[in-house]
Formats: sequence, structure tokens, C-alpha cells
Amino acid sequence: MTPTPAPLRVAILSFAHVHAASYVALLRDRPDVELLTADPDAATAPADELRGAAFAAEHGAAYVDTYEEALAWRPDAVVVCSENSRHREVVLAAAAAGAHVLCEKPLATRVADAEEMVAACEAAGVRLMTAYPVRFSPEFVTLRRLVASGALGTVLGGTGTNNGKVPAGRAWFTDPDLAGGGALADHVVHLADLLDALLGEEAVAVRAVSNRVLHGGDPKVRAETGALVSITYAGGAEVTVDCSWSVPDGAPTWGGLTLQVVGTGGTVEIDPFAAHVGGLVADGARQAWLGFGENLDALMLEHFLGCVRTGETPGPDGRVGLRTLRVVAAAQRSVAEGGAVVRLAS
Amino acid sequence: MSSPTLTVGLVGAGGIARAHAPAWRALGADLVVHSTDGAPGLAAAHGGRVARGLDELLDVADVVDVVTPTPSHLEVASAALEAGRHVLCEKPLGRTSRDAVAMLEAARAADRQLYPGHVVRFFPEYALMRQAVRAGEIGAPAVLRFARGGMFPAWSPWFADDAQSGGVVLDLMIHDLDLARWTAGEVTSVHATRRSLDADGARHTLAHAVLTHAGGAISHVRGLWGAPHTTFRTSFHVAGDAGVLRYDSADAAGVRSDLPPVPSGGQDRPAPAAGESPYLTEIREFARAFTASGTALAPDDPHQPRVSAVDGVIAVELAEAALASVESGEPVAVDTAARASALTAADLETTGSRA
Repeated sequence: MTPTPAPLRVAILSFAHVHAASYVALLRDRPDVELLTADPDAATAPADELRGAAFAAEHGAAYVDTYEEALAWRPDAVVVCSENSRHREVVLAAAAAGAHVLCEKPLATRVADAEEMVAACEAAGVRLMTAYPVRFSPEFVTLRRLVASGALGTVLGGTGTNNGKVPAGRAWFTDPDLAGGGALADHVVHLADLLDALLGEEAVAVRAVSNRVLHGGDPKVRAETGALVSITYAGGAEVTVDCSWSVPDGAPTWGGLTLQVVGTGGTVEIDPFAAHVGGLVADGARQAWLGFGENLDALMLEHFLGCVRTGETPGPDGRVGLRTLRVVAAAQRSVAEGGAVVRLAS
Repeated sequence: MSSPTLTVGLVGAGGIARAHAPAWRALGADLVVHSTDGAPGLAAAHGGRVARGLDELLDVADVVDVVTPTPSHLEVASAALEAGRHVLCEKPLGRTSRDAVAMLEAARAADRQLYPGHVVRFFPEYALMRQAVRAGEIGAPAVLRFARGGMFPAWSPWFADDAQSGGVVLDLMIHDLDLARWTAGEVTSVHATRRSLDADGARHTLAHAVLTHAGGAISHVRGLWGAPHTTFRTSFHVAGDAGVLRYDSADAAGVRSDLPPVPSGGQDRPAPAAGESPYLTEIREFARAFTASGTALAPDDPHQPRVSAVDGVIAVELAEAALASVESGEPVAVDTAARASALTAADLETTGSRA
């Protein structure tokens, strides 16, 4: 009989990201995990956002006041959910403490920060994973299989959309200093990650245009809300991504992600968030959207914990987090230069 | 026009002629056909007759419908205009903007009507979307996406020759370049990418264009000439600060069948989701304009169709800018607002010199 392995100690560091609640719920009840949380920057958030000890109590998670206390507990792994610009300090501290890291996306707000984080984790011998849950969707797994098997032939390119509502509930998402930008920083990385995995090639040219027509009158939204990004990959594939926060506030679901890939063998399009029961409820006053399908956060955490146990390199690792951040940085530079094409050394 | 029955001279007998001919017949027009290939078959199929040559066609026709391959549009349309005939010319108006402008000038000089066959403006899904956008239903347009694609047009060899057809950008994406401008307004820059590969004995081309509009909106236009089995499909997603309108022909079928597969390839052009043929809607609107006056219509004439020759010229110029961007790898600055007023002012000058 195989002995039951000791539970893994996992610390969730910060509740800034909206996914923290999902991670707490998934890790809290696992028999193979001991969970501790810390959210020392809670006081910097607006008063109406549930953070810190109150958030931990609400979600039934053990809590300490500082990252130092959480890391002194000697966690095997941490999940970093701080504001994007604060990922660096938390990841560096975790690496120094010898903890494997799952870090929310984008990996950082500056390429230099991401480079430092990747190097620090490699030097410390800890695994760094970037939180790209769509990588684990069965739809993407199917697409990847069709490309790898040659069924799609040579890939000519594709079109990606990652549209959502303007982020609400966490004000920092629309503060470019903390988020690293607006819709460009928030939404391009998911598709850049899927394309990175699909093509196994780096982006060599990026061109972007953006605007603030959507939510243009909202003073809390201080970054671009709409953008189109054109990416050329080393092998010649031409992709365009719409990363806009263009889902109206009243829509029945948050948004979604689609990726259409065109090859010489034909076209495959995935829509991993499409599965739902629709209809009209509340005397016809509201559209229903009862979404179902795999819990992508659960699949991602399962993969991460497996890598923590075995020492394997996670699927979306820190290096892909860095490569995809380079695409975002190039897109932002293109916008700043009035839509100039930014060429990247591969 | 004195005669109650319009005589239409159809020059060309290819795919688009087969879409136009029944529309003209449904409107009660007499058809005369001239083509280097296929005229007898087309005439027989639609109750028309074959002209002995272009000269005879120009003699008897009230209106000339130019449905030849793109490179000959200017020559045929100019001959018709010089002979005093109104002209419907299939899109693109010309292989180059120089040709398109020359055609516009020929129409001005002859004081005759010229319209480009931008039929997608007459597809109900696009017409309704644009009407709703103009009515403010989605607020200010912000980010628009238009996609169109099908099998590589292997049914006629000239499409594969970029020098003749301009490829997927000029022949197919010109529809959505025109629609983006029609919906979100004048354009200030165009950036485009394209990848073309030969595989399994067939050509495959995917292209993207991104437009920046003067009003601040941005548009993505995607065109595909794909694998031989590709089903023709068009879609749009138009987001503004007060709402979103979307359409996908793949979701719009009023009939869903599950029958043994048809062994032939994809469709060469889309079947309408519902309602009458958009080619009939288009040609009815042009015929109304043609029969309203024997000469060019005043700009404010209520018979002006929803698409003008100036729109047709600008659509070619946008496609040319996209092709230039593909070549250079850099965005191309354009000013369609200035072009529209310059091309329209030429009309006023011509009118003025005549007066």
C-alpha cells in the first residue's frame, strides 16, 4: 500500500486578484493541501473591497498579517495574487524562501521585472508557473492536438478575441500604475500564451492600436479599453487579437475567449466559455447564462501541485510568462509610437 | 427614361453575371449578353439574347452591367459611359485606384450614372446593423470586427493572379473595408498582414487589415481564401460604448440539415440567411436610380443609391493601402475624408463647367 504523502503547504499571497476567492475555495478543502493566506496590502485597497483578514474569514481560510509570517511557515508553494506591479516583490521573496510559485498573469508590468523573477526562481531551484488557465481547457487541448497531428496543415495565422466587461470589484485593474495598463495588459497575454504553446515560436513583430471609447466617461478607468493587436510569428503566422473590454455591463456573462486558427488543412475555432444554458428569467427581464464545463482554475492548480510534488516544469512556466509579457510591452510601445510596427529580436 | 422596359447589357457571363441576371429579369428588364465565354448559356438560362459584339450591346442597352474580370472593368465601363449608358460595375471598380478614378471621371464627363456593385451593403444583416449603429443603438462605435472567407476561388483562373485580381485583399476584403468605413466613418490609417501558402495543389491566403477611423474607432477586417472544402462564412462584431451588435452566418441558418455530405467544394458566394436575394435588393435600388433620370443624379436626389461611385473609388484606395502595407510591413496613412470631398468636388466642377 502506497503511503499517503504529507499534505503540501500552500500559501496564497494577497487577495488583490479576483481569482483569489476561487483559489481559496479550491485549495481549502483539498485533503492533500494545508492552506495559509496573507494580504498585507489590504489597507491600500478602497474601503468597499473585501480584503485581508475579513476576506479570509469570509472564505474560511487561515490567515496571517504579513508575507514574512506566511513564508516563515515554510510553504512548499505559493500562489501570488497581488496587484500586477507587486508580483515582483512577492515572487522574489517566495523564491528566497524556497517556495515554488504560481503567479497570476501578467507575470509583471515590466519586462525587466519578469526577467528578474524568472532568473531568481531558476537560481533558487523553485518552479515558476504563470496562471494561464485557458491552456487547460479541453477545447484548447483539442486544438493543440489538431495542430500537432498535422490535421490543420501549416498554420497561416488566426484571429483571437478576449473580450470582457470592464473589470469591476477590484479598482486596481483599471489603474495603469498597478495593473500595468488597461485592456492590452489584461487580455492579450492569454491568447499570446495559447499561440506560444500552439506554434512553439516567438513573436517577431507586433503592432497595436487602441482607444478609450468604451467607458470613456468613467474617471476610474484610466487606461485603454479597446485595442487590436497584430502579431507576426517567427514562422510567418499572422494573427490579430481583439482584447477589448467590450462586453456591456448588462451582459449575462463576463465575456469570453475565442481563437480561430487557419491552416492549409482548414480552420478550427475554439470557444472554451461557450457551454451554457441560455434563456430568459425573472419574467423575461433578464437573460440567463448558466455556464458549465471544466473548472479551469481547478485543472490549473492540479497541474501546479503535481509539478510541485514531482519537480517537473509546469506547462505555462515563467519563461512563457516573460515571452507573453514581451508581446504586451511591444503592443504598448506600438500604441505609444502611434501604431508603428515594433520588431522583436527572436 | 421613355421606355418602360429597361434593356440591360450584361458584359461578362461568369459567376457574378449568374447572380445579376435573375435580379434584372425579376425587375422586368430585357437582357442582352456579351462575353468572350459563356454568353449563349447565360442568355438561354435567363431568357436573354446574345449580342453580336460589344458595339451592338452598347447600341441597344439602356444600362450596362459590367461583370467581367477586374482588369477589364475600366475599358468596358468607359466605352459604355462614352456611349451614353448608365453603368453598374462589379466591385472592385478597378484593379488600381488610377483605373477607378478614371472610371469616375468618364462618368462625370458623360454625365451618366455609375455605381459599384458593393452588394454587401444590401445584405440585410449588414444594412440593419449599420442602420442601428447610425441610430445610436450601440453608442459611439469603438472596436469593430469583420470576417469573410471561403474556398480559394478556383472556378476562374484569373483570381489566382494577383496582378489581375489583387488577391483576397482587393477582391474579397474590399467588401468589409467598405463596410467598416460605412459603419464607423472615415479612415485615417491602414495596417495589413497577409500569408499565402500553396499546399495540396491549392492556394491558401489569410489576410488581416486594421483600420483607424477619424472618429476614434478601430476596425479589424479578416479575409480568407482557404482550403477547397471551406464553407463560405461572414461575421461581424461591432462594439460601442452603449452596446454590441453581432452576426455570424454560421449561426443564422433557418434550415439545419443532417444529410450525406455533398461531394463538391464550398460555395462561391453566400446564400442569404433569409429574405430576397441581396443582389435583387441591390439591383432594384440601382434600377430605380437609372430610370429616374437619363443623366447623373444631383447629390441630394432621393433616388441616390446607398453606395456611390466615390465610395467605390475609396474602397479600392483602402484595399490599395492595405496591399501597400502588406508589401512594406508598415502602416499606411490615408485620409478618406479628404478623398471623399476631393472626389465629390470634382463632380461639382464638372457640373459647373457644364452649366
